[in-house]
Amino acid sequence: MFKPRPKQAEVLEYTGGKMGVSAVPGSGKTATLSYLAAKLVATVPLDDEQEILIVTLVKSAVGNFAKSMANFLKEEFNLLPGLGYRVRTLHGLANDIVRERPGLVGLDDSFTVLDERAADNIIQEAVESWVRANPNAPDHYLSNEHYSDHFTRSTRWADTVKNMTTNFIRQAKDMQLPAGELQNMVLDSKRSLPLAEMCAEIYEQYERALRYRGAVDFQDLIRLALRVLRLDPHYLARLQHRWTYILEDEAQDSSKLQEDILKLLAGEKGNWVRVGDPNQAIYETFTTANPKYLLDFMQEKDVQAKTLPNSGRSTASIINLANQLITWSLAHPNPEIREKQPLSLPWIEPTPKDDPQGNPPDNPAMVHLRPEKFTAQEERDTIIKSLQRWLSDNPDKTCAVLLPINSSGAKMVQELRRMNLPYVENLRSTSGTRAVVGALLYVLDTLKDPKDSAALATAYRVWRRDERGDEEAERSIENIAKEIRKLTQVEDYIYPRLHDWLEEKAGDSGELYTHLAEFRTLVRRWQEAADLPIDQLMLTISADLFQLDTEIATAYSVALYLRRFAELHPEAQLPEYSEELQAIARGQRKFTGVSDEDDAFDPEQHKGKVTVTTMHKAKGLEWDRVYLMSANNYDYPSADPFDNFIGERWFIRDSLNLEAEALAQLDSLYTEKPYSEGQATQQARIEYASERLRLLYVGITRAKRELIITWNSGRRGEQVEAKPIAALRGWWQKEHPHP
Amino acid sequence: MRLLKDQQRVAKEHFDTTIFLEGIAGTGKTTAAIERVKQLIRSGVATDSILVLVPQAALAIPYREALRRSRVATGGDIHTATIGSLAYQMVDLFFPLIADDIGFENPLDRPHFLSLELVQYYMTRFVEPEIEAHDYFNSVTISRSRLYTQIVDNLNKAALVRFDPQTIAERLKSAWRGDVEQGYIYDDAQISANLFREMCVRNNMLDFSLQVTLFVEFLWKLEQPRRYLMQQYKHLIVDNIEEDTPATHDILRDWLPHCESALLIYDSESGYRRFLGADPVDAYQLKKLCQTHIKLTKHRVMSSDIQAFQSEMARSLNQPAPKSPKNSDAREAIVYADNRYHPQMIDWAAENIASLVHSEGVNPAEIVVLAPYLPDALRFALQTRLNEHSVPNRSHRPSRALREEPAARTLLTLAKIAHPQWNIPASKYDIAYALTASIAQFDLVRARLLVDIVYRNRQLHPFEQISNEKVQERITFDLGNRYEQLRQWVDAYIQDEPLPLDAFFSKLFGEILSQPSFGFHDRYEAANTAANLIDSARRFRQTVNKIEPHLDTSPEYVAMVDKGVIANLYIRDWQLEKRDSVLIAPAYTFLLSNQPVEYQFWLNVGSSGWAQRVNQPLTHPYVLSRQWTEGRRWEDADEVAVNQETLANLALGLIRRCRKKVYLGFSEFGEQGYEQRGTLLMAVHSMLRRLRREEEHV
Repeated sequence: MFKPRPKQAEVLEYTGGKMGVSAVPGSGKTATLSYLAAKLVATVPLDDEQEILIVTLVKSAVGNFAKSMANFLKEEFNLLPGLGYRVRTLHGLANDIVRERPGLVGLDDSFTVLDERAADNIIQEAVESWVRANPNAPDHYLSNEHYSDHFTRSTRWADTVKNMTTNFIRQAKDMQLPAGELQNMVLDSKRSLPLAEMCAEIYEQYERALRYRGAVDFQDLIRLALRVLRLDPHYLARLQHRWTYILEDEAQDSSKLQEDILKLLAGEKGNWVRVGDPNQAIYETFTTANPKYLLDFMQEKDVQAKTLPNSGRSTASIINLANQLITWSLAHPNPEIREKQPLSLPWIEPTPKDDPQGNPPDNPAMVHLRPEKFTAQEERDTIIKSLQRWLSDNPDKTCAVLLPINSSGAKMVQELRRMNLPYVENLRSTSGTRAVVGALLYVLDTLKDPKDSAALATAYRVWRRDERGDEEAERSIENIAKEIRKLTQVEDYIYPRLHDWLEEKAGDSGELYTHLAEFRTLVRRWQEAADLPIDQLMLTISADLFQLDTEIATAYSVALYLRRFAELHPEAQLPEYSEELQAIARGQRKFTGVSDEDDAFDPEQHKGKVTVTTMHKAKGLEWDRVYLMSANNYDYPSADPFDNFIGERWFIRDSLNLEAEALAQLDSLYTEKPYSEGQATQQARIEYASERLRLLYVGITRAKRELIITWNSGRRGEQVEAKPIAALRGWWQKEHPHP
Repeated sequence: MRLLKDQQRVAKEHFDTTIFLEGIAGTGKTTAAIERVKQLIRSGVATDSILVLVPQAALAIPYREALRRSRVATGGDIHTATIGSLAYQMVDLFFPLIADDIGFENPLDRPHFLSLELVQYYMTRFVEPEIEAHDYFNSVTISRSRLYTQIVDNLNKAALVRFDPQTIAERLKSAWRGDVEQGYIYDDAQISANLFREMCVRNNMLDFSLQVTLFVEFLWKLEQPRRYLMQQYKHLIVDNIEEDTPATHDILRDWLPHCESALLIYDSESGYRRFLGADPVDAYQLKKLCQTHIKLTKHRVMSSDIQAFQSEMARSLNQPAPKSPKNSDAREAIVYADNRYHPQMIDWAAENIASLVHSEGVNPAEIVVLAPYLPDALRFALQTRLNEHSVPNRSHRPSRALREEPAARTLLTLAKIAHPQWNIPASKYDIAYALTASIAQFDLVRARLLVDIVYRNRQLHPFEQISNEKVQERITFDLGNRYEQLRQWVDAYIQDEPLPLDAFFSKLFGEILSQPSFGFHDRYEAANTAANLIDSARRFRQTVNKIEPHLDTSPEYVAMVDKGVIANLYIRDWQLEKRDSVLIAPAYTFLLSNQPVEYQFWLNVGSSGWAQRVNQPLTHPYVLSRQWTEGRRWEDADEVAVNQETLANLALGLIRRCRKKVYLGFSEFGEQGYEQRGTLLMAVHSMLRRLRREEEHV
């Protein structure tokens, strides 16, 4: 039975109209919203074609929400789940909208949506050809000491242009500016805006390439959805009728386009509930996402504004620490940041007395802000040591290591594996997806060079990967793999003619013989399939390799993905496919297939193990013990003069952040306001620092009982402790003089 | 099966009357019509004076087969035709009569009939540069081959619906609501269509649309050709007129008063070929020109449970619902499965089919697996699983790119090596595959070992030039010898004057590949693909060289295959091969084959493809139809109405072609990973809910 707290009950009284809810971390916002959705499904008389629409931010939240709703519908309302509502990300919703009427915006039925990786490739090509054609373009921007450096001019410059263009195009699309129109604006404008000019040309090339392929990118999908709704009022009216209620989760990360789309769908007097926490807005850098949309919405006069201030998640000490971060931020030493109010009230309040999900008992000794200046390796070692002790004492508790970026997560994972500590990954590409892709990749490698015994040995290990963990099996796998690797003539095993390696090696051992003969049959089958179209080859291999449903589904979407890739690149062969798979495996792009990514990550399923996760992916989740790593001024800068900013490249003159400058030029072009070089760079520092402050807040509020914060001095040993963390540590020591 | 009273009436009605026969699918209309044909012949009518006219060739198969099987003494096959084949035949005969009048540049020369592939080829060669130069279609997102298809489609519609092809853009624009830019796209489509048409006229080339136009607008109006047709065919059997186009209907309007007898068959609640110009409304107007009207109402296919399912489904789709038979239960007619992922749904289907075939003794031919679209991956995944379950299966695939056929790729790779002057390189992967395919028992490991050494500078070098004897041993001298035979053959070929590509393929196939101990020896499928490739290359060369005598067509052809434009169109009589097997097909293909079965599996029930009309940004089947009121705008309500009608016709049409049970397969996530929520799924859900409520109520 769901027993709402008094503030939650207020939200649940909702029956119609507009409502905005500002919620603190741990306030049960998703539970409340999904309960509300379930209640609406149960109580509002819906026609067959009508639904409650729920919009969330990321794919994993869809799974989370759907599960929670299904539960409520079954348990509390005795209804069949799956009917009368639809849970979507914004992309999913846009896809629904456009797919129904693609012709309205000049799309063919079979239009494809390129995922990030494919779009990225196209931008890369466009950038490379542009850079080649404009060898003098970097003159104006390189610093003196890098001006004549060949490597900088050819490679680093191209990378910079690419980052810049990627953001530029995204922003232009958000502003609904087609490439052609933008080009005209550039031509008409008499001002010198070289970055905008550059990006607009590449944008045009990029769009041309998309059209040629009959494809749109993610950004287009959303832009086009809005256009469809504006173009055809009848269709809009039909959708308004279909989605009588719209519930929006994580509304603090809503973009302008998202707000516009939902506003249209809800209509003038529509039913629209927006829930979010402005302090947890962490998707804003170089996007149009902004918590102000939610805050402004809550100020509108026909909107019922509610709060969910009570959190039962953390101990009083951790809540106090998070609240202190708000206090510090409100008085931020940098006046520009202070004025922006990155973190704002309300405070997090503990639950009222006798709450069934009350806060855990307080224990200030379980909060550690470590003062040491570690190297990155020392930091990892320290945490590994701490984990070794803690995990063996706490097999029934949950625990996570939170990192600011993906790549450091991968290093941590390596370390954990080396030390034999149990872990799960919640990084960008989940290990499940990665394992599937990796397995396919290894098999593809043996097909790429079928006479390579090392590749064959690896494929063998892939085939038996599920047996890993069993010591005896592992020994046998290693021994056999070693034998295969030693093979100088692979054909003597796979297709014996004069010599039969298998007969010689294992002729006497029945079991081993059968086993290796079985593997040989597989390899032969794969080789025979090697010149089939790539999707069929992938399906053939995966039928032999995978048993789990999610694995099979992932492999299926890999097959489809490569098929699409093949259609875009008719000349592609095994090496190109293999490269694509490597890119997926390295997590260089979000692989949007069917995979366990769609299932919500549930820390409770991983007791006694360490979860390794990025801060972004940790949103909405909680653990008993949390390690916050890398709290230095690189990952959490405060716009101080000595801070290094990711976007400011050392070979660019005057520490200009070209990505920010290009966007400023775009804005200037659009609004016809004057552009002044350097301002945007400074502004970007403020914004980035603000967002990272909120990220820190998100990190701290993931902890239920125990929190450890550490920092390291970075790659060159130049970084210092992040300013907010130093301040928190000072405050903490004063509050708790004898830890 | 014995004919019911009404069916007998169709068969035996006077042989000098015109009959309009209507009824929904499964009421035995075609069966009755076939019986009438037999009666006609028995009464002494000459077989070759009967014409069976159908909207697409496959629909005539039941007539030909039934007559072949029956013991009626025929003096030869009856003639079957479509509007396209009639047009072809007539234009071929009478072209000189009209060529002058309509402005062909060389009226005395023979016309060149263009296949679909050649249309794509000429589009690429002549229209594409214009599109590029003027930046046409710059705001539409569509692949090139579909772009060309739709340009040509507009011309086809103009011919089949009979409007002036110069008015395509105007018609489309007047109905458009939305972006101004779309208007430019229509203009571009008009310009491109004009360009293509001009090019055809200049070179005596006839695509489908021109063939139809010449026949319908010119030849049919002339005394001589018209008399020729009317005197040859005195008895008309026209099946599925609702799937045919106004051009056909107009011809019939003229013809009916002059023929001795006619039987027009109208399938109510169909019209599946709308996007190809089918016009059921126009077809129905032919009724009043017929002297006798017969309606068949007794359903002869569906079990009573299936009938109950039909009416429940009709209710959920807001259609008039026929009453369910007594003691019937819709739930007995369906199996619904709810899966999370797409592959699970495929497993579910394969397992259930296997169990029907192996445990319940169902004839595999009585099972079909249907989906709104059938991408290769789904087809392949299904076939693999059915093979694992030892269930014989076949898939109707009208065409697939030739470059996807391994046997064709082998021939093309060898052609590239044998013609260094083309400058089209082959990769070492392709050569290794080509060796494994062309030399029997040549495995991929040894092939790669060999290729890595002997393939240099785009040339194959002799086996004995391998300096390392150990390596020769590894490859084995047996394989090495056969490699040498192949290589020397290629080498000798290079020394001579090059042959036309098809002749090269024939020679390679005949002298090497089909020989014992080579790869195509005794391999029927590979030989078949080779035969298709040879045919296709020859036709390409012959047609193109007639138009451009000096062009070396071989590299052009190879490039077209590499691009995926040339398809393996010759699936020779797919219906006849592997008869006793499960059919895997797109839903519409099955519908239009008009062959009921006992069990149907509907896959991807959540897909929106069940309801949505094919959406094409350059054309519009409804706006370009005869039923469209000029000046009206196409609104969302039209879209919704069309979708509802599409879904109802499709779903109910399928049910009426099912005798026992429909398996409904659904997966929460579609194959691309998107959640599925199509209209069919909603209808199925609402039906299930209703049935559950009623059960609780009882």
